[in-house]
Amino acid sequence: MTKQFCTFFVNGLFFGVEVLKVQEVIRYQGMTRVPLAPATIQGLINLRGQIVTAIDLRRRLELPPRDAEQLPMNVVVRSEDGAVSLLVDEIGDVVEIQDDIFEHPPETLKGVARELVQGVYKLKAQLLLILDTEKTVNLANAGTRA
Amino acid sequence: MNDHLQQQLIKDLLIESFEGLDNFDREMLALEKGEGNAETLNNVFRIIHTIKGSSGCIGLNKIESVAHVGESLLSLLRDGKLTFNPEMISALLEYSDALKAMLGCLEQTGHQGDVDYSALLQKLQSLQTARPVEAAPAATYGLFAEEPEAPLAPEPAPESPKPLPANAPAMVPAGVPEKAAAEKEIAARPVTSVSDTAIRVDVGQLDKLMNLVGELVLARNQIVQFTAQSQEATLLNAAQRINTITTELQENVMKTRMQPIGNVWAKFPRIVHDMALDLGKQVELVMEGKETDLDRTIIEAIKDPLTHLIRNAVDHGIETPAIRQAAGKPEKGTLTLRAFHEGGQVNIEILDNGRGINIAKVKEKAMQRALITPDQAAAMSDREVFNLIFLPGFSTADIVTNVSGRGVGMDVVKTNIEKIGGSVDVLSEAGQGTTLKIKIPLTLAIIPALIVTSGGERFAIPQVSLLELVRMEAEQARKGIEMLYGAPIYRLRGQLLPLAYLNRELKLDAPAVSSTNDAVVNIVVLQADGRQFGMVVDEINDTEEIVVKPLGKQLKGITCFAGATIMGDGKVALILDVMGLAQHANVIAEVRDRAVSAKNKAAEKVDERQTLLLFNAGQNARMAIPLSMVARLEEFPRSQVEWSGKQEVVQYRGQILPLIQIANYLPNAAATAPTPTDPVQVVVYSEAGRSVGLVVSKINDIVHEAVTVKRSHNRDGILGSAVVQDKVTDLLDVIGIIRTADPSFYEETRKI
Amino acid sequence: MRQMVSFTLRGAGHEVLEAQDGTVALSVLQTRAVDLVLTDINMPNMNGIELTRALRALPSFGKTPIILLTTESDPAKKAEGRAAGATGWIVKPFSQDQLLALVAKLLPA
Repeated sequence: MTKQFCTFFVNGLFFGVEVLKVQEVIRYQGMTRVPLAPATIQGLINLRGQIVTAIDLRRRLELPPRDAEQLPMNVVVRSEDGAVSLLVDEIGDVVEIQDDIFEHPPETLKGVARELVQGVYKLKAQLLLILDTEKTVNLANAGTRA
Repeated sequence: MNDHLQQQLIKDLLIESFEGLDNFDREMLALEKGEGNAETLNNVFRIIHTIKGSSGCIGLNKIESVAHVGESLLSLLRDGKLTFNPEMISALLEYSDALKAMLGCLEQTGHQGDVDYSALLQKLQSLQTARPVEAAPAATYGLFAEEPEAPLAPEPAPESPKPLPANAPAMVPAGVPEKAAAEKEIAARPVTSVSDTAIRVDVGQLDKLMNLVGELVLARNQIVQFTAQSQEATLLNAAQRINTITTELQENVMKTRMQPIGNVWAKFPRIVHDMALDLGKQVELVMEGKETDLDRTIIEAIKDPLTHLIRNAVDHGIETPAIRQAAGKPEKGTLTLRAFHEGGQVNIEILDNGRGINIAKVKEKAMQRALITPDQAAAMSDREVFNLIFLPGFSTADIVTNVSGRGVGMDVVKTNIEKIGGSVDVLSEAGQGTTLKIKIPLTLAIIPALIVTSGGERFAIPQVSLLELVRMEAEQARKGIEMLYGAPIYRLRGQLLPLAYLNRELKLDAPAVSSTNDAVVNIVVLQADGRQFGMVVDEINDTEEIVVKPLGKQLKGITCFAGATIMGDGKVALILDVMGLAQHANVIAEVRDRAVSAKNKAAEKVDERQTLLLFNAGQNARMAIPLSMVARLEEFPRSQVEWSGKQEVVQYRGQILPLIQIANYLPNAAATAPTPTDPVQVVVYSEAGRSVGLVVSKINDIVHEAVTVKRSHNRDGILGSAVVQDKVTDLLDVIGIIRTADPSFYEETRKI
Repeated sequence: MRQMVSFTLRGAGHEVLEAQDGTVALSVLQTRAVDLVLTDINMPNMNGIELTRALRALPSFGKTPIILLTTESDPAKKAEGRAAGATGWIVKPFSQDQLLALVAKLLPA
């Protein structure tokens, strides 16, 4: 059994989301910020008439902020509550991976990332961290540790 | 119709018709194999009906008349008045080829062609002879003078006093006589049963359609906004047409989700009957306007409030027969339910001719429950007293009966109605009865809203919460805004209006222009939960129809926003939740008592229904004057306008009529130098034999509405503003403008 | 419907005054003379037939043509309209051409 993952980079880390969960990947778009919203929410984008919340993965994963001139990309994922955009630094390839090399997150992975990463694949070049999208877009318990 | 548009329409017709005719052929072949059913016949009929209708609409008479003959045959077949035979199928296939040939010719040459199809048409007609061949289609218009005296009786009409829009058939029980479900779609056809004209549609499908129309509305707004700057006539025409069609489409799609209010009322006769029996009263229930439609989501939302109000009216309103007799009233009380559409809203009235609201008793109860102080009670107008019954914790029932007074108070009724953007008002006369007036929007999905800017972001404020707009120069603001118990307050005609600053509440950046001397303060006066407060924003932009979209669950916790919408430029704007914002800003809770007492002094002038003339002047989009001030509406060709000294005049009814360009006397006049229109639109105002012509850019409409005029603006030429047809409209200060333009006008009239 | 009618008529070069219901129409028509009145039968506050009757009662409205917009299923309404003094009728839905043809019949250019 193999699985396909859409991959991307956030602060040098290599992440993957199951292809089936990804609605589309789009370039940076101007967005409307939401006052009073948690800092993880970057704003709202108009995705062909649908209003989509954009979550900054750097903030969500409690990583250092992106350089101001670096425009993030939108990975739009399907969630129970509709489409949500995850803002990432850079888009990688779609990779196909043998199911059996899946492992639990290593002990070195700390903090929020540990909760949101379902598991890892040890690829030749790099470690691929598989993100649990439902947990990632659910901010109900986010920020409590901030 | 211009050529470009005509061509576009033809193109659309071609695409639609070719596709339709392909289906037509397929269905015919299915019928030939005996695979068809009633639905197949309906389909082919609809295809032909559409082609006939569309071609007729754009003047393709030949195609229309050929299409008509086949349609007659198909309608007989579909109604079961004829049965299929192979001869018919081949004739109909030939007929389809003929239509295709004509359409093909139209596509290539732009003409319908001159092939003679009379043989085919004759064949199609002779195939109808199982019935006498139908004469020409029933006239679609005519003059009574050209008709025999007896009224036309084309067919027995179904018993429906008012046509209902196409209901979602899921809501129409089979066997109900056909309303007008087919009125729009298949009107060319005589009476049929509902099973033929109605199909079941999943409500989810309708919601999807509604969402798509919402998108279309947005795209339309964008196009209209964009083309407004264009000089291209063709583009403007097309945009105007898209505008009209979108509006009509929106209305019609909305109608598919409509249900008559009678569905909710159906259980009321029983409730009233049972209650009356219980209480030993006699009540006649009269229902008017059962067929008034409402969006199904709204129907759901008003079910309980209405039931409560009905119960209340029977329980507290209508007296027992003995009391009624003693008061000289008929023993049997009347309870009237009335529903009607007005100004894009649905009005529901509940009238009883019972004892009315006892003002003294209400005041007493309110004081007992510490809702008001004796001082306040003494100062209250009757209307304010009536509205006390909507306060939480208020109940006037002397005895808690088993029918009402079960914890659900009028406050809950009011809250539920306001939740869906409605309002409720109560009027009463001691001994004569009580009237409850409920106004609710037709639908929830698309709402009118005021767009404001604060901290560089745009926000939409639903019009239902909006009372008025106040604009002040900084100088004026410094005097007008005071601090009371540490909170900013603005005196609005003697009423203390608590203020909140949107920038501050939403932690937005301060506006680019800091509060220097030339800054202007904009206050949006809002109403939440029956109380008023002012929201200071950086800029007031415009009113727009917006499509409400929900926010993701990540943002549900922020009570200041009710949703989001997409603006004409494609960007997202947040919709403010006025109630949530008021609570967030703490402006309504703590000032509650003060607001109540201040309200008594409010010199708000509630006018009875007025007829207003709505017009544009320069860039002042919505202006109004009472129609009673208008002597005549005239238009003059630009060439008739002459100069007499510095005064523009026209010769009018043997007199010289001086003209006043209204736009020049309005605020920001310089910026809005009116583009001269031709013909010149003039509102003639007369006083004691003298007339003057007020030049406007465009006459829009005449409306008859109850308006509440807010006299607040310190703006030249404007008396104040009012919400007319849910939109803020400025009232022109006719007398002031005339006085400024011609100081002698009134003096001279006095001399005469 | 009102928009479609006014759009069509304006497109054909007519000047159109609109009113949202019978009551408004009546107050408008008391201040402004027109060449032709088109009215729906089903309207809030005052229906088209009541409006026709009210207009015919005005001295200045003896001869102005009044056209009722009606639905096919309403022959009774048509008869009622005729009795109230309407000049003609047009069945909904109608095409722009039909409307213009009828108007042209009543308002020779």
